Amino acid sequence: MYIQIKDLCFSYTNQGDKTIDNFCLEIEQGEIISILGESGSGKSTVLRLLSGLETPTKGTISIGGKIVTDDRTFILPEKRGIGMVFQDYALFPHMTVAENIQFGLKGYSRSEKKKRIDEVLELVNMENFKKRYPHELSGGQQQRIALARALAPEPSLLLLDEPFSNLDADLQIKIREELKQIIKKTGITSIFVTHDREDSRAIADRIITMRDGSAHEWESLCTVRNTSNTYDYEMEIMS
Amino acid sequence: MKFYRKLPGYMNIWTVLSMVIVLLILMPNLKILINFFTQTTDNWEHIKEHILPLLLKNTSIIIVATGVLTILIGTSLAWLISAYDFPLKVFFKWGLILPLAIPPYIAAYTYNGILNYTGVIQTTLRNDYGIRVDQKYFDIMNIPGSIFIFTLFLFPYVYTITRAFLANQSSSLIENARLLGRNAFEIFFRVVLPISRGAIIGGASLVLLEVLNDYGVVKYFGVPTFSTAIFQTWFSMGDLNAAIKLSATLMFIVFTILIFEKVLRGRKKYSYTTAKVKPLTPMKLTGWKAWTVFGYSLLIFSLGFFIPFIQLLDWMFLTFEKIASPVFTQLIMNSLLVAFTGAFMIVIFAVIIANFTRMHKSWLSKSASRITILGYSIPGAVIAVGISSVFIDIDNLLFTFYESFGMEASLFLSTSLFMLISAYIIRFLAVGYNSIESGFDKVGNKFTEASRMLGMGMTKTFFKVDVRLIKGAIFSGFILAFIDILKELPLTLILRPFNFDTLSTKAFQYASDEQIHEASLASIIIIVISGIAIYLFHQVLEKEPK
Repeated sequence: MYIQIKDLCFSYTNQGDKTIDNFCLEIEQGEIISILGESGSGKSTVLRLLSGLETPTKGTISIGGKIVTDDRTFILPEKRGIGMVFQDYALFPHMTVAENIQFGLKGYSRSEKKKRIDEVLELVNMENFKKRYPHELSGGQQQRIALARALAPEPSLLLLDEPFSNLDADLQIKIREELKQIIKKTGITSIFVTHDREDSRAIADRIITMRDGSAHEWESLCTVRNTSNTYDYEMEIMS
Repeated sequence: MKFYRKLPGYMNIWTVLSMVIVLLILMPNLKILINFFTQTTDNWEHIKEHILPLLLKNTSIIIVATGVLTILIGTSLAWLISAYDFPLKVFFKWGLILPLAIPPYIAAYTYNGILNYTGVIQTTLRNDYGIRVDQKYFDIMNIPGSIFIFTLFLFPYVYTITRAFLANQSSSLIENARLLGRNAFEIFFRVVLPISRGAIIGGASLVLLEVLNDYGVVKYFGVPTFSTAIFQTWFSMGDLNAAIKLSATLMFIVFTILIFEKVLRGRKKYSYTTAKVKPLTPMKLTGWKAWTVFGYSLLIFSLGFFIPFIQLLDWMFLTFEKIASPVFTQLIMNSLLVAFTGAFMIVIFAVIIANFTRMHKSWLSKSASRITILGYSIPGAVIAVGISSVFIDIDNLLFTFYESFGMEASLFLSTSLFMLISAYIIRFLAVGYNSIESGFDKVGNKFTEASRMLGMGMTKTFFKVDVRLIKGAIFSGFILAFIDILKELPLTLILRPFNFDTLSTKAFQYASDEQIHEASLASIIIIVISGIAIYLFHQVLEKEPK
């Protein structure tokens, strides 16, 4: 398995109230996974734990056979090589589009940087916006730049946190399709978090549900996987 | 929580530097607290028996009276300005902050200069009307006089905090009370006071901490309080140990006030959590009501700013030619030097600690943040005692080191500007820290997280992203710390190197030597610079949506 998450636990406060309780998940390379759940179900926390922005209290995460978190290891977020598209995009307001994308291109030569910026901008159909600042872009355009920025350093995994929540409803459907095309084109393993079933169904190869951080659900997820019966959950949602 | 799991996230230069800074801040304070329990000296027994009761009595009288009066004046003005329209209201809204620009010690000798035998009031009465007054009615160099000065020049702390609260938080409650047919007095006592309790207490506790910090007013007026007693024991009796014990007692009073504030505010925050608040719409006052409110505001503004300022200007023109000399230029340069260096270091330290505490939400970062702002509550006299005893210890430790360099001075650090700057940092770090912390709060962590996801470490992220986004907050933190250092008196007076004078110490010395007129130029410079800064700062605050 490309990504393995085992017995992950996490809480924001020191006492009780586990936000994540024995969460398990396995993902194959190139898969597009959607984590579906209501707000407060802990779905965004899973992304933060994967990316290293939070440290789990218990459990193991490995990506591409390399352990990034366990009792002895903790790889800092900047060393994990994971791309992330934030809910409100978090484009640096003091940098242009090109500078934003270039930001993650460490160890590239000057000409390589230029080439890569052009490549990813072409990928998201934003070639003509290089010199713009984030506040000069519409919401949909900002989102595409955020995606381009996350993809530019060629990460091993792409995380998207509620990628459509800041978009108008009609724009959402259009962008959803585009996003799917772009991700498919790059072939990158992706996980995106959403509260919208339609989003999940339109993009994901596989859907995972989370509810109220309830422990049964995670445990059953593990059991489900162990009895190789994962698709029950998807069926439940589709019906 | 398994700490070792979190450890790798903590292993960076920011954590290390923050811990070092926090320990440095803690050292002088710990020194004082520990020394409280060491063996007592004869001096201390004497002080405890004969002087301490008087100090406690004076301090309590001044604190209670100033607390009550500033609450009355500050809250009433805050309410009148936010709830009503009357002549020149917009002017008063800003003008009533200006008393903060006049440090109380400057106000003290200015008022004494106005009221004493040779002052403008008595000479006018004598020369133009032939009236000779009884001196006791014009003597303010006593406890009521100190209360008068503290009240007039510190009430803006209560006024600004309460007004900001009323303007932003209270509209629906007050408008409802109006609709329910309550009159103005009922609304003030039954709605305004209870809901703004937290703001009022917050402002009042700032006032009390300033009163405890004061050295200039009580020293000039000859009122024995803790600050003056600490210095007297230290310098006249030469008993650092007894001075430390007095400092520790004063520290306990400070902690009592801080705890009292926490308890009084309680868990009830009395504020809405909704993001959108409708500002209170002022009602227009007419007739005698309008003029009464106008008169009240004018009276406080005149006493708290206009009268002393005009008097100082007048004295300045009288003495300008005599005072303005290369020596005076040197004073300005000295003031700018210490204020700039101090504010610069404060901003750097504050940024380091604020960046650490926002990254890690844990008991460690919470206590770091608490300790950082601790210094602002600790009176200057206490910090002075603590820091010089720490520096003398360090000098003793380094004695052999000095010798090997063939240096003669055995007290090298404790007689240098380095000690004074360190004291400023401890005392005013909170000022820079609060500003920078709120800057970080406003920006949030998302840009930092985005940068780290793009492969930049904490330090690179800091220079490429964070600093650019909070430069406004860094700048205002710098300005606030700069002004505070410029006005500062007790620390500068005690810890400055030999023959090193700043605007504030020189002004105070002139005044103490009965040369009040000569003190005016330095005072005016301090007041004008602080006034401009305060005005700009509050205007920025007003414009920014919170």
